[in-house]
Amino acid sequence: MSGVDTDVHPFFRFYSAGNFGEVAPQRLSPMSWSLVGEPMERATRVFSRRVWGRCAWAEGSCYVFVGYFGCRPYHNLSSYCALADSIPGVEASDVTAAYFEDIEPPPGIAGVTVPWWARARAPGRVLLELAGTGPRLRLLEARVAELERDARRTAGGGADTAGMLALVLERARAVLVDAWSVHILSTAGLVPARVALRRALRRLVRHGDEVELWLSRPRELVWRRLHAAALAGPDGSGDFLASSFYEVADGHAPWASYAVRQQVVTGTAEDRVDVLDPGVAAVEMLGEHNRRIVTALSSTVGETMAAREHSKSLVMRTLHVFRRVLPRWAVVRGVPDHAWPYLTVAEICGTGRLDVLERRWDDRREACEKALATEMPEHLDLRDPASPRPWLGRGVRPAKGVSPGRATGLVIHPDISDISAIPAEPVVLACVSADADVAPLLPFVSAVVTERGSELSHIAILSREYGIPCVVGHQSAAAIPTGTFMTVDGTSGEVRVHER
Amino acid sequence: MKLLVVGGSGYLGRAVAVAADRAGAQTLSLSRSGYHPAGPGAAGTGLVGDATRPGFGLSGAALEEVREEVTHVVLAFGSVRWDCPPSEALAVHDTGMRTVLASLRQLRVLTRVVHVSSLLVLGRAEGLVGNRELFVGQRFRNWYEYGKYCAERRARDAGDLPVNIVRLGPVLGAPPAGLALDTSHGLLAALPYLLTGGPVHLDRRGHYPCYVSEVGSAAQVIMNALNAPSTGQTWSWYDPDLPTLAQVYTDLCAAWGRIPRLVDVPALRPVLRLASRRVGVIPELLDYSRPWFELAPDILSDLPGDRPVSGGDYVTTTGRHLRDRGRVMAGAMR
Repeated sequence: MSGVDTDVHPFFRFYSAGNFGEVAPQRLSPMSWSLVGEPMERATRVFSRRVWGRCAWAEGSCYVFVGYFGCRPYHNLSSYCALADSIPGVEASDVTAAYFEDIEPPPGIAGVTVPWWARARAPGRVLLELAGTGPRLRLLEARVAELERDARRTAGGGADTAGMLALVLERARAVLVDAWSVHILSTAGLVPARVALRRALRRLVRHGDEVELWLSRPRELVWRRLHAAALAGPDGSGDFLASSFYEVADGHAPWASYAVRQQVVTGTAEDRVDVLDPGVAAVEMLGEHNRRIVTALSSTVGETMAAREHSKSLVMRTLHVFRRVLPRWAVVRGVPDHAWPYLTVAEICGTGRLDVLERRWDDRREACEKALATEMPEHLDLRDPASPRPWLGRGVRPAKGVSPGRATGLVIHPDISDISAIPAEPVVLACVSADADVAPLLPFVSAVVTERGSELSHIAILSREYGIPCVVGHQSAAAIPTGTFMTVDGTSGEVRVHER
Repeated sequence: MKLLVVGGSGYLGRAVAVAADRAGAQTLSLSRSGYHPAGPGAAGTGLVGDATRPGFGLSGAALEEVREEVTHVVLAFGSVRWDCPPSEALAVHDTGMRTVLASLRQLRVLTRVVHVSSLLVLGRAEGLVGNRELFVGQRFRNWYEYGKYCAERRARDAGDLPVNIVRLGPVLGAPPAGLALDTSHGLLAALPYLLTGGPVHLDRRGHYPCYVSEVGSAAQVIMNALNAPSTGQTWSWYDPDLPTLAQVYTDLCAAWGRIPRLVDVPALRPVLRLASRRVGVIPELLDYSRPWFELAPDILSDLPGDRPVSGGDYVTTTGRHLRDRGRVMAGAMR
């Protein structure tokens, strides 16, 4: 373990890069961690307090819900599983299936419980919290837009640039906390909402298992708007899409090497036919009574998913403000450009003396160099913090279908430079993991297969949105040679390679 | 004319191959099973392929022959099961159809394509519906209907291809030699239960049209559509005599000397739905126990070419065919 690590939680000792690992760089700079980990921890604590009241195990001076080991961001798998177990009808495996690549939940911890009455009221509390996300997002959208405008103004220089930069950073920190808060709320709230929907579908709908995936889609996908904004010109709300998600020091070594961004393909697909959504068709097949139940549940899930994507985009836009402003603020503070990624946002915005900061960044750089030389596993068993081990659970998990359907085509990878390079025949996109950055490619592909991912991964959501089959968890997806002829079954999770 | 029948081993695909052979066309029948026509009445050459794969799943000389020489194509592929799961329906009729259209774009001398759609794409449409309409806000009964809707949507929007569309209702009639009718789905799936004499609830005791047609006449309409100019038009075909569902079931059961007990007791519907598997009726079939939809009265007048004549008493013939081969009893045993 290295000098930049957070403390290991005294009870919750299993960690997973899971949801981080799909989209965030493998390693984050201390600065980025301070913009990601700390607000996430605070937001999750607030969520936990509002739903279950004060629980001793969800508080304290140690990070409970996230961790930073070897410069790699982790979620605390044990504590998230404990939260899931605290909602009636929800199991730890529902959380791991949704966000942690279906890994086996770690063993529970005796004594980590919530009172029965807090458990009983939890679903209602979650629902109440979710109901408030709409107005919060609208407000946040306006605040982020203003923040972006102010950040652009500071670029021009001028007499009061330092004051303006300080103001922007202060506002950005407040916005970031609120944006993470909505993101955590919608991410956590989705799990019980989906469990309720799944149960209803299995009871009320023929082929309910398959239909569930179509009904677990965001009502509105914010990424389309942002990609359109990115194409419209620089400095817009979609500007952040060309940068690494989560890493604000993506122009600095060594963080740049972890923050590889897939190239956004420009151009437009042929006019796609507006076919009736299969989720709508599925609901319409039901009788009046069942239709109302399923519509209510799927609307809740859809709205929550939309809120999750929206809040994530707002977090990324705010981080992009930090990405642009921090280097200039470092100049004002007298911090060398190579050094600010080793500080935290509180340190660089605080009033600490420069010589103290200098010792700190020097120590951290040394610690980071050591940490980066250490291989960090996806899932971490820290029951013995002195000798961390990978947490394997039940071992290698089979590939999983997360967007139904079946398609056959030629393999391409996301590093394709232009749409003209995509073969005229149907193609299958194969990659390690994918986020909203592959969205521009999706209209051109017939299926997607990735090494990483879960039921609620962004690629799963995007694939359902575009109506293309998707399989996640295929161990060697990125290694499949371009031009391989293969079939992807997004229902069964089967991937077959054919001879041509 | 060099004709490729995609789905050539199916009930309708074989009938089209026979009709094309009679018309003097050179026919290639593409199917996964690799059906190879043989014996009297057989027509065409069999090709082993898969419509849902690029290049029809063909390779080498077969792919070259199709790409270089095929001038006409009939798309009659895919499951017609009303109880097929959504993944299957969409893999074939939506994603599969998109792949087929991409494969068709590789054909160098393509003159005409006929996509065989279904009247059931209209689902539970309300009001009069004509050939122009595809989605009129209807609710679909099952994934087969939705899948065929997607396929027709894709075909209609393939403006760069010379596609005509023919919609058919359930097809009946004696199958070509060597093919046994499948009684495990569609209208025929109710036969085992009907023959036991058990009561079946149908609104208005089944006195509403079910738009059946005779397989030979359906094949003839498809041939006419192949020879018609490509206007991207949709035509519908069903028996102009408009036999009702009650009539069809009565004629089918006549082969066994039975009269089906068709009743109008709505309370029976939920009971039958609950017990559907036990009594040998797929739940999806019960969704057709109400009047289906209403087609515009002049819908057949648009048909290209001469209007075909249905082959006599084709419904009774279907019943006799099933009785002679013991198909229904096999279904009842299941």
